[in-house]
Amino acid sequence: MNTFTSLFTLLIFPAGLTLMLVGMFYEWIDRKLVARFQNRVGPRWFQPFADTLKLFAKEQIKPAIVNPYLFFGLPIAALAGALTAALYVPLMGLNPASNFPGDLIVTIYLLSLPTMCVGLAGWNTSGRFSLIGATRTLTQLFAYEAPFLLAMLGPALVAGSWQINTINGYAQNHWLIFTQPVGFIVALIGLMGKLELPPFDAPEAETEIVAGALTEYSGRGLAMFKISRSVELIIGLSLVSSFYLGGLNGIPSFLFKSLALLLVMSVLQVLLTRLRIDQTVGLWWRFGAILVLAQLLVMILWKGLAL
Amino acid sequence: MNNNSQLWTKVINQVRDWARQNSIWAVHFNSGSCNGCDIEILATLTPRYDVERFGIKLQGSPRHADVLIVTGPVTRQARERLIRTYEQMPEPKFVISVGSCSISGGVFEGCYNCVGSVDDVIPVDVYIPGCPPRPEAIIDGIVQLLTELKGGKARKQQRPVTAEEIPA
Repeated sequence: MNTFTSLFTLLIFPAGLTLMLVGMFYEWIDRKLVARFQNRVGPRWFQPFADTLKLFAKEQIKPAIVNPYLFFGLPIAALAGALTAALYVPLMGLNPASNFPGDLIVTIYLLSLPTMCVGLAGWNTSGRFSLIGATRTLTQLFAYEAPFLLAMLGPALVAGSWQINTINGYAQNHWLIFTQPVGFIVALIGLMGKLELPPFDAPEAETEIVAGALTEYSGRGLAMFKISRSVELIIGLSLVSSFYLGGLNGIPSFLFKSLALLLVMSVLQVLLTRLRIDQTVGLWWRFGAILVLAQLLVMILWKGLAL
Repeated sequence: MNNNSQLWTKVINQVRDWARQNSIWAVHFNSGSCNGCDIEILATLTPRYDVERFGIKLQGSPRHADVLIVTGPVTRQARERLIRTYEQMPEPKFVISVGSCSISGGVFEGCYNCVGSVDDVIPVDVYIPGCPPRPEAIIDGIVQLLTELKGGKARKQQRPVTAEEIPA
């Protein structure tokens, strides 16, 4: 019975299949919101499902010079990394499937695994566009990763724990968006950088470098990268809303808070234009990292004086 | 058992066809057009006509695309590139030729630098006439392609074309 329950938790609900379906649904909401802001009708509700099914039914072309193990293994590794990160996060506002002290660090590093896989995939296919795309993907990873981690560190410091579940419990009594506004903004924009949404879509800029690191991918591999992107979206939204927006304690609060965050993110996507890669790096290190560090310093001093 | 597996194949085929009909990713290739048709294609993609509501999206890479939209007569320089772009697309793939020049050569018929129409070079599924065709006509052509897809066209494997077979 116990084995059955854990398999069900892992593969069907809340991680696994349900997570992928909800991720695709959230992707549709994002696309629809962007379309409405641009005065368009926008895609139908099943659009991401149809796209994914079609990609799975398409031929997968392997370029002649790639390493086949890397070429076919990287999409699977990306999806596996994103799905493993889901185990420690309060998905849909339910209790995490598993937790241990320090799972925040593990989750954040598992969340950057898909990005690393995209970078490696671009390097492996060694086309011009995919090489430039891979370089930009990895540069952007180094830009947003440290500020995003620092922004997640703030709630952990206040709650006095590295465990996502404990921080979620603490945050239900304290709305950290009011006490740590800088951290919230950096976490939200860091999430947009992680998902390579505009204005941080330089790694896959269609007008310059075709499709970035994934230019040579077709069919199944592309579909798996796309699914891992939507799983990352759900996990990121759950993390930020559970840390800063008063915690997640049920499906209604998850829906309400994550959709509010998604609305803000799509407004930002429509408002802002694409940054050059050097502007992205400059933004993160000149403003993001320093502001979050200053906030951390203030918090540490406050804690030290209060004790 | 046999009956059961037949039913299963039928269901899978139906799901696959549904997905193909509802998600068409296109890549746009100008093989020597005067840019009139290209501007009309861009107009089709703008918010006024908004083809994303049918699942049609313009992709950058031919590896991601299902449909190749070709405009203009094929010039001698563009011929090799057109074949290459076509070969880079994964199966099942379709070609829409937009504009009079891509159907017959148009005013460029018999020019020293032109090979001729698009179907002299690669197999074409849908022709959209006009000089240039209006966005409504382009959407109508895509609807024709969808009707063909509903007839199960995508299930038949198309004959691959190699560069050697094509007359220069």
